[in-house]
Amino acid sequence: MSLDFSIDPETRKLLEEARELGRREVRPAGLEADRAGAPLPPDHPYFARFVARGEGRTRWPGPEGGQRAAAARPATVQMLLLAEEYAYWDRGIMVANPGVGLPEGNVLALGSEAQKERFLGPFLELDRPRWACFAMTEPGAGSDAAAIRTSGRKDGEGWILNGAKCFIGNASRSDWILVQATLDPTKGRAAQRAFFVPQGTPGLGGFKIEKKMGLKAYESTSFTLEDCRVSGDHLLGGEVRDTSRAGFKTAMRTFNAGRPVIAANAVGIGRAALDEALAFAREQDRLDDPRVRDRIEAMARKLRMARLVCLRAGWLADREQPNIVEASMSKAMAAGVGQEATTLGMELLGSRAARGDHLIEKLHRDVKAMDIVEGTGQVQRMIIARHLVQLPR
Amino acid sequence: MFDLDPGEELRLLVETTRSFAAEALTPALREAEAARAVDPAVRASFAQIGLAGLELPEALGGVALGSVARALVNEELGAADPGAALALDPLGPALPVLEELGGEEALATLASPLYSQGSEARAVLIDLDDSDLRVEGDRVAGHVPFVPADRAALLVGLGREGALVVSEGMHFESLRGAGLRAAGASSVSITDAPLAARWTDPKAAVRARARARVYVASLLLGVLRASCEFSRAYALERQAFGRPIAHHQALAFLITDMQMALDGARLLVHDAAWRLDAGLEATGAAAAAFAETIEATRLIGPAGVQILGGHGFMADYPVEKFMRESRALASWVGGLDAAREDAGRELCASSGAIALSVGEP
Ligand SMILES: Cc1cc2nc3c(=O)[nH]c(=O)nc-3n(C[C@H](O)[C@H](O)[C@H](O)COP(=O)(O)OP(=O)(O)OC[C@H]3O[C@@H](n4cnc5c(N)ncnc54)[C@H](O)[C@@H]3O)c2cc1C
Repeated sequence: MSLDFSIDPETRKLLEEARELGRREVRPAGLEADRAGAPLPPDHPYFARFVARGEGRTRWPGPEGGQRAAAARPATVQMLLLAEEYAYWDRGIMVANPGVGLPEGNVLALGSEAQKERFLGPFLELDRPRWACFAMTEPGAGSDAAAIRTSGRKDGEGWILNGAKCFIGNASRSDWILVQATLDPTKGRAAQRAFFVPQGTPGLGGFKIEKKMGLKAYESTSFTLEDCRVSGDHLLGGEVRDTSRAGFKTAMRTFNAGRPVIAANAVGIGRAALDEALAFAREQDRLDDPRVRDRIEAMARKLRMARLVCLRAGWLADREQPNIVEASMSKAMAAGVGQEATTLGMELLGSRAARGDHLIEKLHRDVKAMDIVEGTGQVQRMIIARHLVQLPR
Repeated sequence: MFDLDPGEELRLLVETTRSFAAEALTPALREAEAARAVDPAVRASFAQIGLAGLELPEALGGVALGSVARALVNEELGAADPGAALALDPLGPALPVLEELGGEEALATLASPLYSQGSEARAVLIDLDDSDLRVEGDRVAGHVPFVPADRAALLVGLGREGALVVSEGMHFESLRGAGLRAAGASSVSITDAPLAARWTDPKAAVRARARARVYVASLLLGVLRASCEFSRAYALERQAFGRPIAHHQALAFLITDMQMALDGARLLVHDAAWRLDAGLEATGAAAAAFAETIEATRLIGPAGVQILGGHGFMADYPVEKFMRESRALASWVGGLDAAREDAGRELCASSGAIALSVGEP
């Protein structure tokens, strides 16, 4: 053990492959969706090829005694570098990709064996593109997740869900939606539970795919739950909480891998913008202008810094050391730097960027969301400040 | 394989340095500043724990550690008193210049004598671009506007093409100094002096500059850390409008941003130091690390004072000293503009995509 900033050969090889795939598949698909101004339809050949490559499978090893060995948890550092590389080619497509996506971690940690088999089983080997999603945000509550109003009311053996969710990635094409609801709105986070709501459940409807500024490749969708009834076994983890899983919440408070992923995405988008800006400046013979060179230098430096801060969060997670502050820092920093990098690109290109058909212009729209999803920049600072100065909630 | 753990040996070194700094430097902060000197007993214990010859080859009685060790040690010293740190280190950032351009021989003949017991003699690094020295044949004359020393045995001038050393004919005129007074402060006039050494080797000069930048940047990191820590603790104590000032979001977020700037800059400095030790190309990385640390200085120096309000402006608290000294350090080795120039030129000279990749040569 000693200080070491090198990347291992295996990761390098994976990055090389990601680069190739990014160039060939990911970027063209992202540009297509952006031009069309609509998400790639579920039956788009891109998704079929994605599934045919064997991608999008769940990390769940399958039923006990099953065929597949548990996939080793990939090193977070490696995963972050790959998240950066794919976002370089198209961040929207990363989210559009089939698979369990966001709810997988929660289901793996809290779900019963029967729930894993039923809801993750179809993702062991995808017979066709399949999606799932996690629905937390509501029109009236985003950052303040304790304030969600979607309710779960006991009804005999089952539950009745009522409420509205918004901005949920892949919702209308998902096999099931993991819906966060409150059993008692006066009790905040403690009274919140998550329910599996399969597509087609009566009462689940009103799907509206939002028109958004960027990241058009995937759908961000609002929907409603009107007296939507699910049976008791759809409550994640079951009604009586398994105490052996109680550690999960504590773990969530100590480790975070989600925020560094968004941070890595922001670095990737920023790096794409910087490469474009540099290529443009070179083509226009402007690299001898110290004003231009200084700006490019600053962006390259900040992006490297953001990447290192991001990898630090991942490195801590890999060592199972607390990384909450570092994870939030990575996101707060990288989202800002990513935005600066795309802005630099816009400014360098000037009117050529204003035309609206240059990659930089797309990146400039796409990257904004990195400062919003998974906790805004302000929310990240609140989290950091809770640790640094015990900022009260 | 990406690993931020410095390992057992360096961890110990950091701890030793930290306790030395806490016991010997921090309590004497203002005295050393007023006396423009470090207590001889402090000097003795500094040498005794091996900190004086950190990068010096073993053959010359040093510990032969590299840039990572230097960066870690300097942060600890800088967090206590960067002026004292300079006063205590016989060569400081001049060592890489002698080593890279003059090799072991220069170290043996020029540097080694400065490491003798109890000696206060130092070599100081000057930037040839930031002074007006004229070299004619093997003689030199001119003026250096500022060195952080009241006197020096050697002036080591680093330029783009090479380096030179002056060991006699220097006239030191005492200055007040913006900061770093524990190390002294003066301007230097040289009427007509012989050169003790002169080397032309642009490549070695570039490498020496990279190491010198890591040296100064890591001292700066220490000062910035001290400012962050002091102001954060104060903000938790001081009450305004019915709560600790740290619990007003405007200050909570400022404290957060200061910490983020510090952490980010530190990772860049460590990356550059690691590259230097690994023998990788490090010019751009070291220049960028220095630039980023200076940018962090712009935020943290004044913000540390701001968090203490009027009290921060007074010499009763150390934050004003942190602000002045970080500023003084930030102007060394060409400061921000030269660092950005070097990093930018390297970047723009590359073809194709920008290789941001960590750890790639
Ligand atoms: C592209 C995209 C995809 C998304 N996908 C999903 C998804 O799949 N699933 C899902 O559940 N959600 C998703 N979201 C929602 C996202 O998580 C929320 O938008 C986000 O958490 C912010 O919530 P909000 O929009 O309600 O903003 P608000 O919470 O209303 O915040 C508005 C502003 O106030 C600031 N603010 C709030 N509280 C404080 C405070 N205490 N101090 C200082 N400032 C504060 C915020 O930083 C922000 O600037 C998505 C959003 C986007 C844009």
